[in-house]
Amino acid sequence: MTSSLPSQDHGHGSAPGGGHGMHAKHNLTGFIIFLLSESVIFLAFFSGYAMLKLGALDWLPPGVEGLEWQTPLINTIVLVSSSGTIYLAEREMARHNIWGFRAWWLLTMALGAYFLWGQAVEWSGLKFGFTTGTFGGTFYLLTGFHGLHVLTGVLLMALMLGKSFIPNNYKGGEQGVQATSLFWHFVDVIWIILFVLLYVWQRS
Amino acid sequence: MTTSPSRINLPAVAMVSAWTGVLVVLSFWMSRQAYHWLPVQASTAAPLVDGLFSFETALATFVFCGVVSVMAWVVLFNRAAKYDMSDAEPIEGNTRLEIIWTVIPALVVFGIAFYAVRVNQQLAILGPMEHIHRGNPIEQVGGYAGDRLPPEAVEVIARQWSWEFRYPKAQVSSTELHLPVNEPVTFRLVSEDVIHGFYVPAFRLKQDVIPGRAIDFKLTPTREGRYRLRDSMYSGTWFAANQADVVVESADSFQAWLKQGASQPLQPGLSDAVQEYDERQQAGAKGWATVRPAPRPQVNFPGSNTLPHDA
Amino acid sequence: MTTSAPFDPRILKSNAPVPGAPDNWKRFFSFNTDAKVIGIQYISVAIFFLLVGGLLAMIMRGELITPENDLVDRTVYNGLYTMHGTIMLFMFIFPVLNGLNNLLIPPMIGAPDMAFPRLNAVAFWMVPLFGVILMASFLLPGGPANAGWWSYPPVSTQNPLGHLISGESMWLLAVALSGVSSIIGALNFVTTIIRMRAPGMTFFRMPVFIWTVWAAQTLQLIGLPALTGGAIMLLFDLVVGTSFFQPEGGGDPVLYQHFFWFYSHPAVYVIILPVFGIFSELFSVHSRKPLFGYAFVAVASFVIVFLGLIVWVHHFFPSGVPEWMRNLFMVTTMLISVPTGVKVFAWLATIWGGKIQLNTPMLFCLGGLFNFVFAGVTGIMLATVPIDIHVNNTYFVVGHFHYVIYGAAVMGIFAAIYHWFSKFTGRMYYEGLGKLHFALTFIGSNLNFFPMHPLGLMGMPRRVSSYDPEFTFWNVVASLGSFLLGVSIIPFLLNMISSWVRGPKAPQNPWQAIGLEWLLPSPPPAENFEDNVPTVISGPYGYGTGKPLVENQAAYENQQFQEV
Ligand code: HEA
Ligand code: HEA
Ligand code: CUA
Ligand SMILES: [Cu+2]
Repeated sequence: MTSSLPSQDHGHGSAPGGGHGMHAKHNLTGFIIFLLSESVIFLAFFSGYAMLKLGALDWLPPGVEGLEWQTPLINTIVLVSSSGTIYLAEREMARHNIWGFRAWWLLTMALGAYFLWGQAVEWSGLKFGFTTGTFGGTFYLLTGFHGLHVLTGVLLMALMLGKSFIPNNYKGGEQGVQATSLFWHFVDVIWIILFVLLYVWQRS
Repeated sequence: MTTSPSRINLPAVAMVSAWTGVLVVLSFWMSRQAYHWLPVQASTAAPLVDGLFSFETALATFVFCGVVSVMAWVVLFNRAAKYDMSDAEPIEGNTRLEIIWTVIPALVVFGIAFYAVRVNQQLAILGPMEHIHRGNPIEQVGGYAGDRLPPEAVEVIARQWSWEFRYPKAQVSSTELHLPVNEPVTFRLVSEDVIHGFYVPAFRLKQDVIPGRAIDFKLTPTREGRYRLRDSMYSGTWFAANQADVVVESADSFQAWLKQGASQPLQPGLSDAVQEYDERQQAGAKGWATVRPAPRPQVNFPGSNTLPHDA
Repeated sequence: MTTSAPFDPRILKSNAPVPGAPDNWKRFFSFNTDAKVIGIQYISVAIFFLLVGGLLAMIMRGELITPENDLVDRTVYNGLYTMHGTIMLFMFIFPVLNGLNNLLIPPMIGAPDMAFPRLNAVAFWMVPLFGVILMASFLLPGGPANAGWWSYPPVSTQNPLGHLISGESMWLLAVALSGVSSIIGALNFVTTIIRMRAPGMTFFRMPVFIWTVWAAQTLQLIGLPALTGGAIMLLFDLVVGTSFFQPEGGGDPVLYQHFFWFYSHPAVYVIILPVFGIFSELFSVHSRKPLFGYAFVAVASFVIVFLGLIVWVHHFFPSGVPEWMRNLFMVTTMLISVPTGVKVFAWLATIWGGKIQLNTPMLFCLGGLFNFVFAGVTGIMLATVPIDIHVNNTYFVVGHFHYVIYGAAVMGIFAAIYHWFSKFTGRMYYEGLGKLHFALTFIGSNLNFFPMHPLGLMGMPRRVSSYDPEFTFWNVVASLGSFLLGVSIIPFLLNMISSWVRGPKAPQNPWQAIGLEWLLPSPPPAENFEDNVPTVISGPYGYGTGKPLVENQAAYENQQFQEV
């Protein structure tokens, strides 16, 4: 080497032999971009729902009066509070209180699971199905697609919880936790819009 | 780095102006030619559309030839000598020039848009669009029910793959569209299956026919003759064969045709698809699976779609 | 080692050894995470599918050389054009562009690789996967999808055989996979561009190609999810029996058109933006002048992104959208000519007074620009609502977009392949074959696609397997042109294969070009600059200014640090 050149400088550890897999900053940037992109699918479903509803001759299928909103409201409160608990979990993590983190994290998971259960209960009590006109179609599409995200969130949290038992895993950076928490807030915001569209905006 | 021309180069200015003049003349000539690329004008819409097209042909010619002239000049006169790898004069930009060529196209665009919006208003082809339940508006094959329609409107029913035209007042149905010349007509476009397109090139007009909607569509034919109506929205296997004839005739012949039609019994109308489908089945159905064509509509007047047409 | 002496074609005859990765062809068939390998994998797969899609087009043009439906059954014709459009877009043009992205982004910004190398490989390997799915659908009893590449319902959901596995459902699966693959790719490219630039490479020192890729991939990230959403709903309509787009259940077929074009209009700028980038790079190098108005050209890309997102309705003006919508979308569409014009005029000003070298890449750029402007002005005509009402769904549209896609985009891609061939293979292509390829392509594409304009104006619909006899003349011309275009691919393939196998060894910088990638050996080592990432100290187009691009430029030009 006759090099007098400046050495590389963009956050690579100087791990010899490449090691080109992990870049904390890249991962978080990538994840944020992914969430922004993902939100467009929801946006598409929301606008499709609105267009179908506004253009419908008769929106509700025969025999259906509308959607019951009390139980979903409780569900909503549960999901929104889980955004708070996940924030507390993160704060404990920042204070290096790993058991505090685990406790709040577990509580968040429980709230998420409760939401899923509430959703399942609601579905099983409905008098219309996926193929009942555009009303049924959009209802199950929106709640189902969102529910899939909640499920993913809970599974991600379980993964992170498991990882937290690996010794020294959270010394360098906790992007996994950060990303999961971002994802969870995202799922939460989507639900609030969904709740307004499906349960609050009933008349048409 | 911005370099500004220190002195005005007279011969160059003269040359550029002369060439611009040539391009203007060429563009004008092309705008006249543009009319010949289009079919005969057979509706009030046609001259408006053609005028706009002619105008844009002129603009397009000017822009395209202008760009190509610069490219041709450069290729002819700015070539590097063989093996000459040296750099040319480093001109990195000129803000004033860049603003000019941002603003001028913007102005041109707004000019075109202004003209086009005016033409849109004059055309006013689209009436109300009603959402309807499929199944309700069109009766099962055969017969005619005139109760839902304004009596002057012509109901156009598109199917896979045939066209049916119904005249409520005269209680006539047909697979050939007849229209009196110089009289505004309103169509009510409905489809029984998929999206079709109601397109008569000689009229320069087109409207998609969307299942689940009844679309009002207005036009005024201005020239007697026989024209093609083509399905313009891909509708499946026999899309290409889903064509009908449009006969524009004097008010008298039109009335006579209606009268004659009303006296004829219902009979199978035209459907090339049905015919080809039967032939295909006999030949052993080579090719891939297809939707079966709707049966021939039962009409008073089948007409023809093989006579020579004007456009 | 290679020299930094001015380029002299005669030097190429010498057999100077080329540094770089081993000539191990097996890595191209493996799950390799090196962006340069992935890039070549993408491009090779894409070109294979160009041949497949082109072959389908040849059969279509064979059918259309006579007015009657005589060569293939109508169902077959419909399957052919549907698969032609689908293959060309999803299997050829997007993969080939992703290949260029993989090859060019890391070296051009001084990064060792992509931000997520493994995801990168996953995104690539999905391409052959959905390619196989698409090709397999030809073998189904009902044939492949045949509802056009738009797949509009209700035609697309008719499913005459009633099987769950139909051409259409396979098509939807393939398109969904392609969407996922493209989103992963876009994530990777955007993150890499934002995060992994060499020190000193500020945004306004990035080459325009990087700007345009960034813009294009941003469009992918915004648009693709909407298409995916629409495709999911269509799939449910098809296989579960929901009625999102079915009028019987209160659904709206036009809603699908919004979903589809909300993505597929921006998709055309995903295609053309990187080609604008290629034009910007190549016009500058091969006329030995700085790119005129660099900042304007760079920023115009994002103006196009913004406008490109709000014009989609121009694809279905006649479908019963209200008057105000027609007028609004007409104006937004036309406005795209403003940022595009900024670029076109900047290229003209770049070549103006330059020292033009008419080598193959430059010829393809000039030809591509010629075709692009032609397509652009017909695009403005299409944007004009009253004219579009007449020519919508006619061959005028087909003419417009083949001019821009084949005439401009594919020619720009050929230009890029020739221009950077030496960098990534370490060999020079043969100039004579390249020029022959150019001549055949330019003549062939104009002969093929020009006649479609008069046909459309006369009122010939697209997607027809038979037509009225008055359209015969121009169709014969178009078919002959298309056969010439088919032949044009032969010198290209010959050139690529023979020069890669036994072409003259390439020097590090045969064009005396400015750019980080030209400071690397040909082909570059696996991690590009490895530990010697240069510090960028000036803008990307310093031709004639004498400004060095990086600190200690001479060391890179001489590859001192390469010698152990
Ligand atoms: C790479 C692909 C690409 C690109 C770049 C474009 C660019 C443009 N396209 Fe095109 N288009 C397609 C690919 C592309 N298109 C495809 C694939 C389809 C059909 C899909 C299908 O139906 O299957 C289509 C269809 C299509 C339609 C729908 C037609 C129809 O179905 O009825 C319209 C209508 O507005 C349109 C318009 C335009 C316009 C205005 C531009 C503009 O961006 C062009 C801008 C460029 C210029 C104008 C030239 C340069 C500018 C200057 C020199 C400045 C001065 C100029 C003026 C002031 C005018 N295109
Ligand atoms: C990237 C996009 C792309 C490209 C490159 C092309 C390239 C070509 N296209 Fe394509 N085309 C589309 C995208 C593209 N097309 C789309 C999106 C549609 C709309 C589909 C729809 O309506 O749904 C369309 C529709 C379309 C039609 C209209 C069909 C119809 O409406 O009925 C026609 C008709 O002529 C046509 C012709 C051609 C021709 C002749 C080429 C030529 O450029 C091809 C040149 C050929 C080659 C370069 C390869 C030659 C191959 C061989 C000689 C055989 C060797 C093969 C093997 C060994 C396997 N195309
Ligand atoms: Cu940054 Cu690898
Ligand atoms: Cu478009």
